[in-house]
Amino acid sequence: MRSYRTAYPFRWRVMDTLEMLARVLWPNRFSGAVPYLMLAPAVLLVLLLVIGMAQIADSSLHVLDRSTFLPSADFTLANYQTALRQPLYWMIIWRSLLGAAVVTLLSLIFAFPYAYLMVRTPSALLRKFLLIALFLPFFIGQVVRAYGWLIILGNQGVMNEMLGWVGIEPQRLLFNYPAVLFGLVQYMLPFAVLMLAPAITAIPEEIESAASSLGANWWRTFTHVILPMSKPGLVGAGLVVLTLSLTDFAMPAVLGGGSQDFIANAIYDQFFRTSDQGMGAALTLFLVGIGSLVVGVIFTVFGAGTLAMGRGKK
Amino acid sequence: MTGMTKSDGKQKAAVAVSVQNVNMTFDGFHAVDSASFDLDQGRFLTILGPSGSGKTTLLRMIAGFQKPSSGEIFINGAPVSAAPPHKRSVGMVFQKLALFPHMTAAENVAFPLKMRRFDATTIPERVQRYLDLVQLGSYADRRIHQLSGGQQQRVAIARALVFEPDLLLLDEPLAALDRKLREEMQLEFRRIQRELGVTTINVTHDQREALVVSDEVVVMDKGRIQQMASPTATYRTPANAFVAGFIGVTNFLNGTVKSTAGQEVIFAAGEREFIGHWSAAAGAPTVSANVVGALRAEQVRMATSADELGQCRTVLSAAVTDAIFEGERTAYEVTVGMDGNIIRVFDHDPAAHKQFGIGEAVFIGWNPQDVMIYPN
Repeated sequence: MRSYRTAYPFRWRVMDTLEMLARVLWPNRFSGAVPYLMLAPAVLLVLLLVIGMAQIADSSLHVLDRSTFLPSADFTLANYQTALRQPLYWMIIWRSLLGAAVVTLLSLIFAFPYAYLMVRTPSALLRKFLLIALFLPFFIGQVVRAYGWLIILGNQGVMNEMLGWVGIEPQRLLFNYPAVLFGLVQYMLPFAVLMLAPAITAIPEEIESAASSLGANWWRTFTHVILPMSKPGLVGAGLVVLTLSLTDFAMPAVLGGGSQDFIANAIYDQFFRTSDQGMGAALTLFLVGIGSLVVGVIFTVFGAGTLAMGRGKK
Repeated sequence: MTGMTKSDGKQKAAVAVSVQNVNMTFDGFHAVDSASFDLDQGRFLTILGPSGSGKTTLLRMIAGFQKPSSGEIFINGAPVSAAPPHKRSVGMVFQKLALFPHMTAAENVAFPLKMRRFDATTIPERVQRYLDLVQLGSYADRRIHQLSGGQQQRVAIARALVFEPDLLLLDEPLAALDRKLREEMQLEFRRIQRELGVTTINVTHDQREALVVSDEVVVMDKGRIQQMASPTATYRTPANAFVAGFIGVTNFLNGTVKSTAGQEVIFAAGEREFIGHWSAAAGAPTVSANVVGALRAEQVRMATSADELGQCRTVLSAAVTDAIFEGERTAYEVTVGMDGNIIRVFDHDPAAHKQFGIGEAVFIGWNPQDVMIYPN
């Protein structure tokens, strides 16, 4: 016979007390409302977002009156016209899209072996080391990390010093497009690894053994079995990295030094430098539109099931 | 491929697989301990053993997933220890099947042909032939998750055989199936193996499966091969007490040898003396050696009076302590006299015989040749 204490642990009694309190505060006959109550915070947040979007849509329809610095009273599509007519904005949109695509591709290529090793290594020590190395940058924050790269890649930075030892003249490593992409890839890598790891975990090791006993060397096992079976993880990781890079602000601002603006930087300039709310709002809607379009295309091509959502689909 | 001819046992068959003094140690633990056996072309061998006996490790070494610590494995006369799995001509059906979920049944079967660079124009015909062989001809375009458990088994078999390997390995693929389907698939394996004449090594812990499907059975325990023999010989003349206990339902009588006469041994167990016999496989015991007598449950006769057991040389009085009706037989547990030894008895003809109730006083009997003596 077990003692009362072990047969009915303290934790259960705490739960009992809480449940009793909950019954007093929220009687059983209201229990039908509980699911709605639990949904409420999320719905409220989405609602706020919709209201904000509506407000932005409204302000995008007013041009800034340069004499009074107030938005015009009448509705007009002038902001969109200006944005579409200015080659600068096309440049920025193109730069952002291309950058996001390149960063996504590079992040996935770099993240895959990392995630694979982390999942498959038999050494618990190595796995721990890889996980810590992955999470460490998260504690530092994006802006601080960008400034770190300024120090390393600057004209008198560590990198140029090392190049000096092998006799190479100091290079301008900062404030150009590759520097921004480099910073973004470095920033996105942990996200990609974390999204890929569960997908690789879901591939049984026996499948890889089977492929090799059926005659596939490691490269053909990778291309014919592992890669197609990781598709859900690749699409998920790709989506996250793509949207985060497309809308990034800090890396282009710090490592691009104002010469390599992405859409978010252009929006920032309109809102906080020129104070042209209408123009900023129009650009914001462009960004939302482009982002939604890209995500929509990915969903249609690969299917929403790639994020392992929905039931029953294997 | 030479392995595809049917061997009818009479003509001298070539050795397909030769395992020679193979060892496998993990951190000082002997998973496989000097295993050696030869398997002739076209034969169906089952490696039988409890979990942890080293049977799967031995199979994985033959497949090439693990490299022996020492010793050598030959397939068709060529040493293969240095060759990776994809360089060996070995088909394998895995425990969890390991089918490719992103491919159809036909694509799964075509995979090894593509990887082993078979002539692309012959692939569709060959895939269809092997799908027909496993009776899945009309399921070619189904995805793996659209097939039932038994159909998935069949795809896995077709995939392992389609490239006509020298050797087929089965790593307990039937373990997860329910009994009826398992027994159906055992016969299916046997049919396909006979049809193609492919040399096969099967691994299982299911003694029934080992007896049903195999030409030869290797019994393993603690990394060592205990016996290699035909299913009948394995069952009738187990090489040692472990094999006797692992296959079939066996009663053990522990005792010391009093005297020996020819093949017969008189040994004392508790207050009683029993007669048993020793076989060449186990070797002759010496007087006062500790031995164990193994007695199969189905060799024990049971009756209400001692007279009915006239043909038995050993007769004991006992009481029924449990009676389990199992359909084709009734399994009894009887307690013998004062020493409280429990003996298990199978009555294979419950309809014709009397059914005994729990608590009933009975007599049990057997003959010396039913008690196999092993050193203890």
